[in-house]
Amino acid sequence: MSDDNNLGATLAAATCALLGVSAAPVMADEAERWSFDTALLYYGENDDRVQDVSATIGARRAFDDERLLNFTLTADTLTGASASGAIATDAPQTFTSPSGKAVYTAPAGETPLDDTFHDTRFALNAGWTQPLGRLYALSAGLGFSTEYDYTHLGANLSLARDFNKRNTTVSAGLAYSQDDVDPVGGAPVPLSQMLDVGDLSHKRSSDSKDIVDVLFGVTQVLSRNTVLRVNYSYSQSSGYLNDPYKILSVVDGVTGDTILRTPAPGAQGPTGIFLYESRPDTRAKHSLYAEMKHAFGAPVLYGSYRFMTDDWGIDSHTAEVRLRWPLGSTSYVEPVLRYYMQSQADFYHPSLVQGAALPAYASADFRLGEFDAVTVGAKFGHQTPGGNEWSARLEYYQQNGTIAREQLIGNQFAREQYPDLKAVIAQFGYRFGL
Amino acid sequence: MKAFGLLAACFALQGCASVGVEPWQRDVLARPEMSLDASPVDAAIDDHIYFSKEASSGGRGFGGGGCGCN
Amino acid sequence: MANATLQNASIAMSRESDYWAGRFTAMASPCEVLIEDATEARARQIVDIAADCAWRIERKFSRYRSDGVVHMINSNAGRAIVLDEESASLIDFASTLTKLSEGRFDITSGVLRTVWTFDGGSVVPTQAEIDAVMTCVGWHQVEWRKPVLQLRPGMQIDLGGIGKEYAVDQAAARVEEIAPGLSCLINFGGDVVVRNPRQDGQPWRVGIEASEHAGTALRVVHLSRGGLATSGDSRRFVFHRGHRYSHIIDARTGWPVRNAPHSITVAADTCTQAGTLTTLAMLQGARCEDLLRASAAKYWIQPA
Repeated sequence: MSDDNNLGATLAAATCALLGVSAAPVMADEAERWSFDTALLYYGENDDRVQDVSATIGARRAFDDERLLNFTLTADTLTGASASGAIATDAPQTFTSPSGKAVYTAPAGETPLDDTFHDTRFALNAGWTQPLGRLYALSAGLGFSTEYDYTHLGANLSLARDFNKRNTTVSAGLAYSQDDVDPVGGAPVPLSQMLDVGDLSHKRSSDSKDIVDVLFGVTQVLSRNTVLRVNYSYSQSSGYLNDPYKILSVVDGVTGDTILRTPAPGAQGPTGIFLYESRPDTRAKHSLYAEMKHAFGAPVLYGSYRFMTDDWGIDSHTAEVRLRWPLGSTSYVEPVLRYYMQSQADFYHPSLVQGAALPAYASADFRLGEFDAVTVGAKFGHQTPGGNEWSARLEYYQQNGTIAREQLIGNQFAREQYPDLKAVIAQFGYRFGL
Repeated sequence: MKAFGLLAACFALQGCASVGVEPWQRDVLARPEMSLDASPVDAAIDDHIYFSKEASSGGRGFGGGGCGCN
Repeated sequence: MANATLQNASIAMSRESDYWAGRFTAMASPCEVLIEDATEARARQIVDIAADCAWRIERKFSRYRSDGVVHMINSNAGRAIVLDEESASLIDFASTLTKLSEGRFDITSGVLRTVWTFDGGSVVPTQAEIDAVMTCVGWHQVEWRKPVLQLRPGMQIDLGGIGKEYAVDQAAARVEEIAPGLSCLINFGGDVVVRNPRQDGQPWRVGIEASEHAGTALRVVHLSRGGLATSGDSRRFVFHRGHRYSHIIDARTGWPVRNAPHSITVAADTCTQAGTLTTLAMLQGARCEDLLRASAAKYWIQPA
């Protein structure tokens, strides 16, 4: 190459001669390489139930040739009470806490809440995307989380290929995770009875489960303003799938009242007969998910729908709509509306009847019951002159459950059957680049 | 939701060969808010909240992990 | 491709978040002019001037137009022609580029178009066919003593390699005359210039036409001032014996460049410099980075 060292100068001189005028020096830069996304979240339910505060940091680094590195670190602390699955009865109730060392109580006529659960969780996820040739991209990820009674370790791998001038991307992925459950006080024997404080004969040591997920997806550009993604996924879990802290009340077949029991002399313990729940040790789920973004000039509309069905008898539908509406040139507001409904699991029982044959599986966990839920809220974002973004999200989430008439007995109709959940979600976020 | 109907109508990739835009028409799609993965932290937080309160989870992709909350 | 370019005289104005955008078609490419901080009438005036400049240069230098200078030169191969000031400057510039690239860049290599068609297929001409056409290629066969140009019979010139970036810089100069200091971004089909930084201190965000995947965003360059151009093979290439040949032909050999990266983007003081550097770098094939480093310009390479 002749005159390499003076290439810049020679070209500048030639251009000056061509254009007749010399230009001011260029000022150009690539957008920041590292991008950080931080969020502080508060989640709070009604009536002194669960409260959660969490902090998340996501970091993303793009490399020249489309390789991508991302990390997410989350820490959250959970406090407050959750429904244990026991049903309300006319007298106050006492239960042995999961640790087996203390008791907790529930007032008459109210759904019992177990408030002994406090936990702190740390989670770390890392992901890497690598282009393979022109049209393929390989992504791999690792995940780890730990809390007092639970450890999760997972890995995932997926491959994507572009078609049609990159208007279509097809991807397939596989994920595997191994979770270890080490419940406080030990994992209870399924459908065994809750015993007095200090009696651990129905408790066993830790257990584990593993989960395999398979995902197929198509992303398609529909127009200059519209992009659509459709995913089908299949998930198979096996192992210990019970919630070790959830119980069912054993009730009288006519009145529906919890069968009473007195603890052993000198001991504290449950005032009724309660059995620990039992779920199958496998679960197969199928999901079909579609999401779409459409730009109407500056505002952007987002919609998604997911259908899930599994072999526990649960079918669910989720629909979400968001509209990002710009306010001036640096801010936006994004209202969101989400609707969710699920049917109950085959083995969902609000209570078990004394004397009736024990089913193979039974759970009164409201999260396996029939309910629908609505989320309504909005996000507000503001971009600073430096290109960073502040955001705030406020949402209200409400679940309304239904228990079929044929599943309720006698006096249960008059009491609170399903503790409807109302929660507030507030999040502050800051996104910046380095 | 006519776009859903459009996709359903051309499920075969061959049929999708005519749907899309030229490389130089991707100006709108290039805007950050048009990316389907525009707010990964929000998505991860939502996924975690709904996973611990409902019986369904995910659908969007991998990432995130298990927890003792369900 | 039609012989005569239809001049699309329609300009579409729209208001984006904090600037005006005027869009039109010129030189077979989508063009846009983005104007910060102006009234609609002023913005329209500016876009009109930029579009007029683009159409004027297209009319004058397009090889498709029978009323242009290039057609006049090509149909008079063998005879001496006197060129006007502007055309002579462009020929001078092209001549300098030929020297700088040691003959790889050559405006007389356009005739190779007759044997190479870049439509993604795999038809490749024979060496004999290439040799036959190569007799009419080579700047050393041209007599150029400004302002007199004489081609050998059978030779043709094509200013496509430098026309668009030149038009962008000229349009920016015309706009600067009527609106000095105003920040606007002129983009003719991916060749971009920004004359003045924005009042609000923010850079213009330019998305590079890169190998984006459906549903994800492009690489973004922050351009506060200067020119930006991208050279690449995303639309036009030939596949032959497992090799991907870009559409840029090395005028010394008559073959397209092999092992060129997928695309090169350069930021320089002017769009002409930026576009020229991307072309010269692509012509170096695998050694493009050496040239780019030597130029001291900012660049981004997308490897093949």
